[in-house]
Amino acid sequence: MQTFKNNSAAAIVLTIADRIVENRAYLSEIDGKIGDGDHGVNMAKGFGMAAEQLKGQDTTLGQAFEVLGNVLMDEIGGSMGPLYGVMFTEFADKLKGHDDVDPKVFSSMLHAGLEGIQSIGSAKVGDKTLLDALVPAIEAFDGAIAASRSFDSALDALVEAAETGRDSTLNLVAKIGRSARLGERSLGVLDAGATSCAIILKEISIAAKSRLH
Amino acid sequence: MTVKQAQPRKNVSSKDNPSEPFDAMPLRYGDDPYVWACWLYYEDGMTQGDIAEAMGISRATVNSYLAEARERGIVNISIEPARLASLTVAQELKRHFGLVDCLVVPSDDKARSLIERLGGAGAQALQRLLKSGDTIAVAWGRTVLSIGERALAPGLQDVTVVQATGGTRASFGYTPELCASSIADAVGGKLINISAPAIVSSNDIRDMFMREPLIESQFQTLARANKALFGISSLRPNSTIHTSGFFESVSLQDYLARNAVGVVAGRFIDGHGRAISGPLDERTIGISLEMLKNIELRIAVAGGFDKVPAILAMLRGGYANVLITDAATARGILNADGVPEIDQRGAHRGRVDSLPAASKTTQRIYTKKFLNNPDRVVDELLEGIVKSHVHLLHPIDKSHRALVARNGPRSGKVGLVIGGGAGHEPGFYGYVGKGLADAVAIGNIFSSPPPGPILRCTEAASGGEGVLFVYGNYAGDVMNFEMAAEMAEAKGIPVRTVLTTDDIASSPLEDREGRRGVAGNLFIFKVAGAACDLGFSLAKCETLTRKANDRTYTVGVALEPCSMPQTRRHNFDIGPDDIEFGMGIHGEPGVVREKMMTADAITDRVMDRIFSEMKPAAGDQVAVLVNSFGATPLMELYILFRRVEQRLNAKGVTIVANWVGHYCTSLDMVGASISILHLDDELTVLLNHPCDSVTLKMS
Repeated sequence: MQTFKNNSAAAIVLTIADRIVENRAYLSEIDGKIGDGDHGVNMAKGFGMAAEQLKGQDTTLGQAFEVLGNVLMDEIGGSMGPLYGVMFTEFADKLKGHDDVDPKVFSSMLHAGLEGIQSIGSAKVGDKTLLDALVPAIEAFDGAIAASRSFDSALDALVEAAETGRDSTLNLVAKIGRSARLGERSLGVLDAGATSCAIILKEISIAAKSRLH
Repeated sequence: MTVKQAQPRKNVSSKDNPSEPFDAMPLRYGDDPYVWACWLYYEDGMTQGDIAEAMGISRATVNSYLAEARERGIVNISIEPARLASLTVAQELKRHFGLVDCLVVPSDDKARSLIERLGGAGAQALQRLLKSGDTIAVAWGRTVLSIGERALAPGLQDVTVVQATGGTRASFGYTPELCASSIADAVGGKLINISAPAIVSSNDIRDMFMREPLIESQFQTLARANKALFGISSLRPNSTIHTSGFFESVSLQDYLARNAVGVVAGRFIDGHGRAISGPLDERTIGISLEMLKNIELRIAVAGGFDKVPAILAMLRGGYANVLITDAATARGILNADGVPEIDQRGAHRGRVDSLPAASKTTQRIYTKKFLNNPDRVVDELLEGIVKSHVHLLHPIDKSHRALVARNGPRSGKVGLVIGGGAGHEPGFYGYVGKGLADAVAIGNIFSSPPPGPILRCTEAASGGEGVLFVYGNYAGDVMNFEMAAEMAEAKGIPVRTVLTTDDIASSPLEDREGRRGVAGNLFIFKVAGAACDLGFSLAKCETLTRKANDRTYTVGVALEPCSMPQTRRHNFDIGPDDIEFGMGIHGEPGVVREKMMTADAITDRVMDRIFSEMKPAAGDQVAVLVNSFGATPLMELYILFRRVEQRLNAKGVTIVANWVGHYCTSLDMVGASISILHLDDELTVLLNHPCDSVTLKMS
């Protein structure tokens, strides 16, 4: 059974933060087409602040997620602050006490994050939100494991499903948040939340894969 | 054929033209900006830069219009000769007599009679020129009736049509009563007749009539008219004036002997347009020539070669500033006034130089802003606010993300906490102070504050009677404020929330609770702050605030996007000639995108939408807020306010308080919103309650 170490894996959060900061302008731009154009800016600010706090610290992935979740929750505001804040806090909670992360722990982590988001937001799959990337990604991961595929192959499935889910938001009409006022005019534009979620899931997966043994 | 050099065009829009570019496209071009652009370019020899200025659009758009016009064959097919002649002559009439506009119908249309064609043209003009809230005086005549039979101006509100003269016996088919009522029917206006004969038997009888309260009130309406529609009668032997019955009781010889050449609204004028006094003056009940000239927009419709002297006299007298006539008559008028033959002018001025290909607009990508570190914009903003308003506000903690009113919270009073993203200055710190909010939580640009500062505000505002949260209905704000509310409840502070939902364009009435909160917040904060300051219970404060929210109606219109300090790029696109109705205060794209139109047309669109929900009755009272989105200057806000006042006034609604300025902005967005608070006695008291904050001060 493939696993990766929870210990000393805080670098995973740093690489996620790097990607988010890199994509700051892109995320704001796609957000600006149907939202207020601040998604990249606020995400970069939160992830950047968390990275500052984590740099040079030798913490577990769980502890790093907790720092990230708290920063997002306490400092960012908006809707992404609480939503991603609760997701990473829940991730941290599920990793507690696990030295080795196996597919089961990883899956329970993803599910806890999803449930946290659903406890404060009212979106469903198809509403053109980050759930359109997150939910199919979790399903693909669980499906691959159930089909006895390896951890790394399941992570590939997760990334692929997240990106397919992200792309599916192109053809969705926003049902929630500010872009929901646009109705049909939100068609043809990616959802910024689904896009950032796909970035996050991809970075976690790549980093986890490289640490599997 | 005389070919006259093209005049350099210094006054493309004459100074007494009350309208702006583009929507103010002169009538003669119909509704087609391509034709207009082509005309200015090919026929007038204007440069593309001058055309851009004249049309109120970008140079790049002019270029693309010309290119597309060529592609579409608009300029390859030569302009139909009759229409070309009409356009030329209309333009010359406008210039020569200093008219606001002029419409000339081709003369060689054999299919319809002149009266029918003038009626059609007049109907078209009326549709363009008549606006909601107008009072139009309508005189009598065959042409006026022909307009009434063809006009259709749907969608107008509060139009009053007032008969310009007294009545006549119905021995002819176009009595003053019938003319006014046909126009009123056509435009859906309220009809005010003059309940008196046009001409009575003596001066005494006239005076008696004029003293009657009913007639007096009808004349008051007539005096309020801002538009007039009338024909012109000639006094030639074949004129219908002799058979109309209008002047049946007197001989016209007196007037002819004094060189009368025409009749305008029942009054005689000479060849120079001067009023001719005569025996009828003291016996006529109707609009005087002086009253007529005081009306802002005066539309004369007349044609036929026999009327040339009469129309010329009318124009010389300045009785009309819009003329609708036919090409033959128009040429006759110009010839009679010494203007050289202009028939074929311009036909040989076609350009031979080729057009540059439509170039892509070279837009600057980054906007200029006063910045130090883009990531510290909000912190630096808050530092400035705290230092500037040190006597009113102080920060609860070092971050300045939670500010409390120095003279706000007190024991025994319900606390009021407001908040939201930065970028809306003076939203929302401007509404913190005595009689208003006790504390404000401030987020990042266009982004809700996190729960932490909201909680600190709640604790600071709490006076033991609970705390009311009032903030705009946005998903992010709701999440963060709800978390803060839970935390406050856990600390024993009861919290009630009112989400503001005044943006009526953001969702249909059925989904009223899903609407977002925008500039109308000002009214809702004001009412909530007063209720708290008066020492009402938390439940009562909540009820009153909810009522203020239910009775506040806002619609915003964006002209240009805003740009975020971090990116310094526009965060949405809007076409060079487009505007957007229903724009939110974060630059969320609006609900309907339209072509640029006049300030009044925009205001009318907004007010119609507001009225459709507010359903005001005469005698109602309101408060009005005309708010800039950031980059729209006060000058334009007052132009909007002026029209808002006209529309409310036309409905008999009184404005008891108004605010015009920057009250809830969206960074540097160009645009404005109009908010109306539909008052009742209870809300009026709360609105007038004293307060002292950065933005609102009332004593």
